[in-house]
Amino acid sequence: MLPASLDEAVDALAAAPAAVPVAGATDLMEAVNAGRLRPAALVGLGRITELRGWRYEDGGTAVLGAGLTHARMDRPDFAALIPALADAARTAGPPQVRNVGTLGGNIVTAAPAGDTLPVLTALEATVTLARSGGTREVPVSHLLTGLDPVRPGELLTWVRVPLLHAPQVFLKATGRSGPARATASVALVLDPARRAVRCAVGAVAPVPLRPLEAEAWVAGCIDWDGSREIDPVATAAFGEYVAAACVPDNYGAEGAWEAVTEGPTAAAVRLRRTVSVLARRALGRALK
Amino acid sequence: MTSPTDIGAALQQDGGEGGAPEPFGLGSSPLRSDALPKALGIYPYAADLWAEGLLWGAVLRSPHPHARIRGIDTSAALALPGVHAVVTAADLPPGPDGLPDGAPAGPIVADRPVLAAGVVRHHGEPVAAVAADHPDTARLAVGLIAVDYEPLEAVTDPEQSFTAPPLHPDGNLFRHLPLRTGDPDAVGEIVVEGLYQVGRQDPAPLGAEAGLAVPRPDGGVELHLSSTDPHGDRDRTATCLGLEPDRVRLVATGVPGATTDREDLSFQVTLALLALRTGRPVKMTLTREESFHTHTSRHPALLRYRHHADAEGTLVKVEAQILLDGGAYADVSAEALAAATAFSVGPYVCPNVFVDAWAVRTNNPPAGRMRGEGALQTCFAYESQLDQLAARVGVDPVEIRRRNAMATGDPLPTGQAVTCPAPVKALLDAVAAEPLPALPVDDPDAEWLLPGGPGGAGDPAAVRRGIGYAVGMVHMLGAEGEDEVSTATVRVSGDHATVICAAVDAGQGFATLARQIVQTVLGVSEVYIAPADSDQSIAGPSARGRHTWVSGGAVERAALMVRHQLLQPIAANFGMSVELLQIADGKITSYDGVLGMPVAEALEGKELWATAQCRPHPTEPLDESGHGDAFVSISFCAMRAVVDVDIELGAVRVVEMTVAQDVGRALNPRQIEDRIEAGVAQGVGLALMEDLQTSGGVLLNPSLTGYRLPTSLDTPEVRIAALLEERDVVATFGAKAVSAVPAVVAPAAVAAAVRAATGLPVGRLPIRAEDAVTV
Ligand SMILES: Cc1cc2nc3c(=O)[nH]c(=O)nc-3n(C[C@H](O)[C@H](O)[C@H](O)COP(=O)(O)OP(=O)(O)OC[C@H]3O[C@@H](n4cnc5c(N)ncnc54)[C@H](O)[C@@H]3O)c2cc1C
Repeated sequence: MLPASLDEAVDALAAAPAAVPVAGATDLMEAVNAGRLRPAALVGLGRITELRGWRYEDGGTAVLGAGLTHARMDRPDFAALIPALADAARTAGPPQVRNVGTLGGNIVTAAPAGDTLPVLTALEATVTLARSGGTREVPVSHLLTGLDPVRPGELLTWVRVPLLHAPQVFLKATGRSGPARATASVALVLDPARRAVRCAVGAVAPVPLRPLEAEAWVAGCIDWDGSREIDPVATAAFGEYVAAACVPDNYGAEGAWEAVTEGPTAAAVRLRRTVSVLARRALGRALK
Repeated sequence: MTSPTDIGAALQQDGGEGGAPEPFGLGSSPLRSDALPKALGIYPYAADLWAEGLLWGAVLRSPHPHARIRGIDTSAALALPGVHAVVTAADLPPGPDGLPDGAPAGPIVADRPVLAAGVVRHHGEPVAAVAADHPDTARLAVGLIAVDYEPLEAVTDPEQSFTAPPLHPDGNLFRHLPLRTGDPDAVGEIVVEGLYQVGRQDPAPLGAEAGLAVPRPDGGVELHLSSTDPHGDRDRTATCLGLEPDRVRLVATGVPGATTDREDLSFQVTLALLALRTGRPVKMTLTREESFHTHTSRHPALLRYRHHADAEGTLVKVEAQILLDGGAYADVSAEALAAATAFSVGPYVCPNVFVDAWAVRTNNPPAGRMRGEGALQTCFAYESQLDQLAARVGVDPVEIRRRNAMATGDPLPTGQAVTCPAPVKALLDAVAAEPLPALPVDDPDAEWLLPGGPGGAGDPAAVRRGIGYAVGMVHMLGAEGEDEVSTATVRVSGDHATVICAAVDAGQGFATLARQIVQTVLGVSEVYIAPADSDQSIAGPSARGRHTWVSGGAVERAALMVRHQLLQPIAANFGMSVELLQIADGKITSYDGVLGMPVAEALEGKELWATAQCRPHPTEPLDESGHGDAFVSISFCAMRAVVDVDIELGAVRVVEMTVAQDVGRALNPRQIEDRIEAGVAQGVGLALMEDLQTSGGVLLNPSLTGYRLPTSLDTPEVRIAALLEERDVVATFGAKAVSAVPAVVAPAAVAAAVRAATGLPVGRLPIRAEDAVTV
């Protein structure tokens, strides 16, 4: 099925509850090929043009269509609006994949290494879920943690992101120079109006993690009224703080009990080092 | 964006320089004939094969690395509509005791069953197979086969293999090779020690295994697949099926490029069995995951080294213990071990060498042939040792290598004299003399390609540059007494020639070379290379760089015989001997220049052909102290790696590799450069990222997302400092094989450069991020 409008699409899903929506198919086809998914029917979202762009809402919010491709989000006009999301989109796979892979697909797949997810988490984005006859608004973190998942018959249509007009950064560590999945990633945004720093760490846990205390602490170290400077010692400490908050001592251990007496595992030490460097560099770049 | 036609035009122009004549003959660089179709995406691969009424095959694989099979119930699978056959070990000819044994086979030792019989020895081992009228039905049926496994303890640490209960009736030791040369009590003033580890590199062929089997009316079967050894594969398939070899025909088709043996035996025998069983053509294409499970990978290795040297760094004694993890089945482990042992010291002179090397069986994925098998692992170890030695003596890494470099006439530790050119010093000097790449300091920040890639997390302040050197060697052709032979037929009719030879061009460029040989010998420009199949005469496998020499030699001889037939009547006519005539630039001329006749005219209306064989001089097995003339010839290569390391994240980017290689004679310079680039890419992959990981024998990353291959951003600039052309007098055209040795040397060079950048020891390949973090 190839509906041409949102309404047609949600009606199609309501009529055929077993049908699966498909956007760029870069995740879906992988699941089909591996035999993990056998969709009874597909509802293609590619012809719903309204979902492929974005609009502004008063109150300083951008409303992004679920059908925005990574390639589109990487373009300068978009990067000027939400730089961290553009950074994430730029590194989300090879060009062939980014040309068709979408924001909505990235969110619904909710892979631990999904690159837009820590950015949306740090931005405290919300998503609109539409079904035949109604919509609802859900914080992206609730969706990702499974607190409030996408229900059968629902489409993810819009992603609401605040426009912060301040530096934001997404950094990702991978195992090679070419496109690859993150082994760890950090998204960091400044919110000068609220004098806040928001940060999320991706790929180290099933969902992006927010180091809330570290955020609050570092916000207090920044000279918000002046040139937004920070003591380099504080930047480094922030890195350590974020890493300790997001990587548990027993990371990578076979059984959770190992952690109780023995301190951090070698894997935890390594991952913390990576996260700490990423968080420190992200903050450094945001305040440069 | 470049459209396919643009690429086509570019390629054509590249080949023909805008209307200039096509490159012709040896020493020129014509384009591969399959380059254009492959670049345009119109080349038919084995997965594109089709036959009317075909069925689809699928394989059931073991989820356990080691288990006893108590029973297999195929009834539910057989009952599924659309399923035509389900086969297990019981459908193969029984073993000597009359019980199913899975028809074990293998390149050296016949120990690997086609379908597991009674016991599975590695994760992903084929247990049963299905033919059905739709690929989905076949896979569904595979899911319905119920296997009752009794999991057994998996032996996955090769060091445990010695004392573990036998995993196979043949035992756990594939081979032990001791090497004892010189005085065991010799000691040096300086002693350096190291423990080195090499991970499991997978060939990860982009074209996964695929093929088509067609039953024949005579009870035989025809296999169309990307075999790189048509006769060997035919013979082994026939044996496994209990057929006469001439009832099996193997047509090499759609070879996507191979750096190892293509298509494991189990795949092709199963395919043939399904076709024979159903009486219908059967097609099978493996998934990426299955492909990782089924083909052999590189031998993981553990190497312990102790080098003794005098105060100047001249080697006095080398002691080593080498352990190769062969995985569940023998494959070519014995051969890889011979190379590892014989080249354990590298291209250096050392009077006293004491090595013990073992290849053992485990429940890990089977290891097999992969560019420079055995030689690569030791190269990393001995070159790491030389770097340590240089640091201890206080000389630079190039100097320590120059001081110890071997030259023609020097002995290997096996006692064999290196009679071929061994220009080790010249190679080192060539790479050392090349200018270094500039630091990007003058470029705008945005244009730095930092470790981690564009848009990565790289920070220029944390990046350190390192430079490392390595030299290495590898033998070419079969070793230790293996019969090396190839046959070729050359036919000329009118203005064009045809080469019929069962040597498969797996990307090494043999087809291009054969064309060039015939062009040079006969002056005919249009040369057609017939597709390879097992009904032709034997040419042997595409491996160990043998086809340039052995099949190239056969083509040359056959062409020379045709040349004689062509020239003899002309010579007789003019009352001179054939030797006084020569063919050049499409003309036959006499020594005195009196006679001149276009080749085309001499050939008019003629049909000439000849068949010839090439069989290089024989070798002998290594004896119980590791001695013997085991190798036909050896090629050498030196490299300099320049890397950038982010010392906080441990990300490494290879900026440039400078290569000097001993090629004997450059028969097709551009093709050689391509092969060097390919070898460097594979070596860089092994050095930095390629590692097929297992946990308790279970594969963890059998996908191209999990198994990271180098992308274009990870492969460095390759600078060719020199292709040294010192003829190897016994080789065809004096040329040496070129593909393997760059892959052997590149990992060692990258490791040396990372060591230089970080000051860390770097004893393990691939180098993980945590091995390159200094803070
Ligand atoms: C080679 C390769 C490399 C990749 N590298 C990266 C990477 O580096 N980083 C990264 O984050 N991702 C990567 N990906 C994953 C993938 O490209 C992204 O997750 C992409 O954003 C998915 O979008 P899509 O439009 O292709 O989703 P699809 O495959 O079309 O859909 C994915 C899932 O989302 C559902 N869905 C899609 N749209 C909607 C909607 N509007 N409403 C409800 N459900 C919906 C589908 O039903 C399906 O379950 C890679 C993929 C490949 C193949």
